[in-house]
Amino acid sequence: MSARILTLRNALQTDVDASALIPECLRGLTDAAIASLPLPGKLRVADLFDIGGEDSEHLVLRNATMRLTHVGARMKTGMVRVEGDCGPCTGMGMRGGQILVTGSAGAYAGCEMRAGILEIEGNVGDFAGSALPGNKQGMRGGIVIVHGNAGDRVGDRMRRGLILVAGDAGDCCGARMLAGTVVVKGKVGALPGLALKRGSLLLDFPPAALPVTFQDSGEHQLLFLTLLEKDLRRRGEPFARFVPLPTRVRRYCGDLATGATGEILVRT
Amino acid sequence: MRKPRNAGACLQPEALMQINGVAIDDTFAEAFGMRATRLVITALNLKWALHAARALTGFATSVIGCGCEAGIEGELSTEETPDGRPGVSVLLFAVSGKELAKQVERRVGQCVLTSPTSAVFSGIEGEPIHLGRNLRFFGDGFQMSKMIGGRRYWRIAVMDGEFLCEESAGMVRAVGGGNFLVLATGQAQALEACERAIAAMSGVQGVIMPFPGGIVRSGSKVGSKYKALMASTNDAYCPTLRGAVASRLSPAIGAVLEIVIDGLADADVRRAMRAGILAACTVGVAGGVQQISAGNYGGKLGQFHFRLHDILQ
Repeated sequence: MSARILTLRNALQTDVDASALIPECLRGLTDAAIASLPLPGKLRVADLFDIGGEDSEHLVLRNATMRLTHVGARMKTGMVRVEGDCGPCTGMGMRGGQILVTGSAGAYAGCEMRAGILEIEGNVGDFAGSALPGNKQGMRGGIVIVHGNAGDRVGDRMRRGLILVAGDAGDCCGARMLAGTVVVKGKVGALPGLALKRGSLLLDFPPAALPVTFQDSGEHQLLFLTLLEKDLRRRGEPFARFVPLPTRVRRYCGDLATGATGEILVRT
Repeated sequence: MRKPRNAGACLQPEALMQINGVAIDDTFAEAFGMRATRLVITALNLKWALHAARALTGFATSVIGCGCEAGIEGELSTEETPDGRPGVSVLLFAVSGKELAKQVERRVGQCVLTSPTSAVFSGIEGEPIHLGRNLRFFGDGFQMSKMIGGRRYWRIAVMDGEFLCEESAGMVRAVGGGNFLVLATGQAQALEACERAIAAMSGVQGVIMPFPGGIVRSGSKVGSKYKALMASTNDAYCPTLRGAVASRLSPAIGAVLEIVIDGLADADVRRAMRAGILAACTVGVAGGVQQISAGNYGGKLGQFHFRLHDILQ
């Protein structure tokens, strides 16, 4: 059975919330039924998309642009492949399944997600894996993989889960994290770990400057990094691109302003 | 003190089978359902993994007085452990899940957490029991949790770095009390046979022999002349009491030793008993081993019956 393919016919002039286009909403529906599904703004799916394929568990969004928002939001099962870019809130509140974006994604990618895998081959905007404004907890599970660069405040208020960034990350990476792990293979901007409560930032390069509320705990060999590396290897591609992880790291504990129970680990 | 049992209650008194001249009684070992777990202990090197494992499995010969029966199942290479360090696999058995959980937590807390460079992981899938779930509080608020591959681990700050501990261990239904008896002309002969048996059985996965060196010399019977005791020495198998009691020993027998086996499955116990009996019989009647028997309660109490003749066929 071939994947269900929704091809965006024309470039969008306004943002369109695509959260209805997830496998569990399309499961068992005919082409006609999908065509008549409502989208915000008094639109129907057929107004914007050509519909093809059969298997709604494997959904492909072709010609996607930054105007498509909330792609894969709250999905629980199945696979969504986005060919192109997508806008803010990609994978917001995901409970399972997998999203692959071949381009870049906007702000709040993977925000408040609970499970599943969100993979972005390009860059992501600010607040990846974070909480929505006003909410107390960001990502609570699952994995976000960014092959490009990430914007500011990656993992802001993150509660659990893993964020892997192959490129650089912006300012305040891991700010206000409650727990979880953020791995950045590139460089990070200013004030990483600001107001970090718990959780781990694992950096390949020393940050230009740490917040003054982080203190050097010295060099250590941490066993959990071995476990994490083995898990990434076991999962194969694309996770294996992030290994080897450093096992010997310099540990900075902090943020002392919020209890000093978190850490920034820097490869030595 | 071993579990109370009428060791060697034969269904048919005459031995129908011989191996190397050693008579194999037509009887069976009677074993019971237990709860068990497997833990993997790792350390900087095998020496320190063994230190932790030996401490953990110390004073764990019998559920009667120790709360659990435990032993080292085997050594693990760096490829076989979760953290890529040398390790040791240990098995713990108890009569209930509640008791097993209590013993695991107490023993890991006192014997593994305290051992330099150690880490401990669950070695089996099953109903979860606490492993590091409460031990984490030793971290006094500085403990950190990590979810990796769907499993939760605790990192507890200690004086040599961090103690890494999985949150839960798996608990499974298991078999405890498989056994066989070696009847020989003297202590040295019985011990030699049992040592050969233990060497052979140590290669069987999924079993432990919980007594010192895997061998027990104080088999017991149910009850005692003293009301406070639920079990007492198995006088029918004590060579020095021959003539004073209804002895089950022929005049040629000078010593009896027993090997008790706990296993994760009855097939594991069966394999271990077979390997052990065959190894014990290599001493042969010429070496002083006269007879192999087994302990049971008449077959009415235990769920598992291991007939010696069936096992050896």
